[in-house]
Amino acid sequence: MRFIKQHISIIFPLVAILLGLEFFIVFDRATKNYEESLRDGYAMLVVAKDEMSIDDFKAWDSHVYRVAEIEKESIVSRVDTTLNKDKVTTIHERMPNFYSIKLDSYLDDEGLEGVKQNFLKSDKVARVETFDTVHRSNYGLFSFIKFSFQTFIIFMSMLGFFLIIKQMEVWNYLHADRMKVMNIFGASLFLRSKVLINLAFIDAIISAMLASAIFYIIQNSWVRGSNIAILKDNIDKLFSAYDIFSLIMASIAIAMVAVFLVVINVKEE
Amino acid sequence: MSNIILARNLSLTYDNEEKIISDATFSVRKGEFVFITGPSGSGKSTLLKSFYGNLKPVEGKLIMGGLDMLTITKPKLQELRTHLGIVFQDYRLINEWTVERNVVLPLWIAGYSKEVQATQAKRLLHHVKLSGKEHKYPLELSGGEQQRVGVARALAKNPFLILADEPTGNLDEYSSNVIWDLLENACQQLDTTVVVVTHRIPTIFNIPYKHLQIDSKGKVHEVH
Repeated sequence: MRFIKQHISIIFPLVAILLGLEFFIVFDRATKNYEESLRDGYAMLVVAKDEMSIDDFKAWDSHVYRVAEIEKESIVSRVDTTLNKDKVTTIHERMPNFYSIKLDSYLDDEGLEGVKQNFLKSDKVARVETFDTVHRSNYGLFSFIKFSFQTFIIFMSMLGFFLIIKQMEVWNYLHADRMKVMNIFGASLFLRSKVLINLAFIDAIISAMLASAIFYIIQNSWVRGSNIAILKDNIDKLFSAYDIFSLIMASIAIAMVAVFLVVINVKEE
Repeated sequence: MSNIILARNLSLTYDNEEKIISDATFSVRKGEFVFITGPSGSGKSTLLKSFYGNLKPVEGKLIMGGLDMLTITKPKLQELRTHLGIVFQDYRLINEWTVERNVVLPLWIAGYSKEVQATQAKRLLHHVKLSGKEHKYPLELSGGEQQRVGVARALAKNPFLILADEPTGNLDEYSSNVIWDLLENACQQLDTTVVVVTHRIPTIFNIPYKHLQIDSKGKVHEVH
């Protein structure tokens, strides 16, 4: 019982931290993809008096990523198809130029307004349409989900860290006497901490495996059966073999830092 | 005979406050048995701690086995400690380890093979009359037996110096005599230098010894 308790008390907080870390990685990956699709699906409309190039737009605002000119013919043909050729030519000459502007990232309202104002500073730009109502509703939902998840992840990791600090106190209580005796007999830092290193190493591997198993189950049972588009669209990117390696490395690193802090805090009497 | 311990105008203090040992000059030669006595709080244990580098001198010189304890580096101190045998009043055994594992601790630290450790453990436990208790844990033994494990541990690597801090302080007369016999034998048969801090020199002691006395002001006097 004592043996199980000894292991569980480090495995539990480590798994909590690793889940937090992996959730962060997975969520970051999934939202990045979603953010990219939102960004690609969004464009501003700029009405300019003269013909403009991408360099002109980039000079006004660095967020400009791609510029596409909207053909005047297609606009006119949508308005009226019965016009004769001369009238169409006249309209073409008098019409301003229309540009669809894609941005390099998914900006919030303030960011969009900033880009708009930068364009309007130029005399050549007559009007800018940001379609901010649609943008705002997409962005608001997306930001809320992101914020909620990040708060949960931070809370979970903090809880894990507090539990690890508690466990370090327990380790100190359990192992300090032995380490002090070994120090008196000339044992090196490594030998003094060997028992603790072995214990922490095994628990770190178990924790990483548990966290990986949880994510494997989430990916292959829960997400596949769910209707959450943002997750389903990115199912293969949710969890990979590389993540298992990352979790093992992170787990070992956290456990070893904890061991090191315990060992260096054991002072001679 | 060469000096194992050499103190010249040695002063010791905790946190640079009042001096506990003041201006002490003495030497301990190879193969000597030395008793350090003095009233409670006179600094006997403090002096012993300085011998294994637990406390650095604030003034004067302390040379242990040719090493200056004021300037000694951590690796050198570790190395020095592997050649010392230390016995404590409260035994300081590792309670979650078996008697056998406790006894061979210095050999394990020095990297000896498991076979050597097992052979030496058997020999030492026979020497301290604890054969058959190899697999017991310290808390399953009496105080006298635990201290015999402590002495066996101190002898494990044939140290050039044994330091004992009140080794019989917690023991009855019978167990105390057993411990004194073991320390006498180590000095006489193995030519090991033994320094013992004690309140009282045992009445029956069979080998010549040096007596250093510390007075209440922390001065060290050589009685004989």
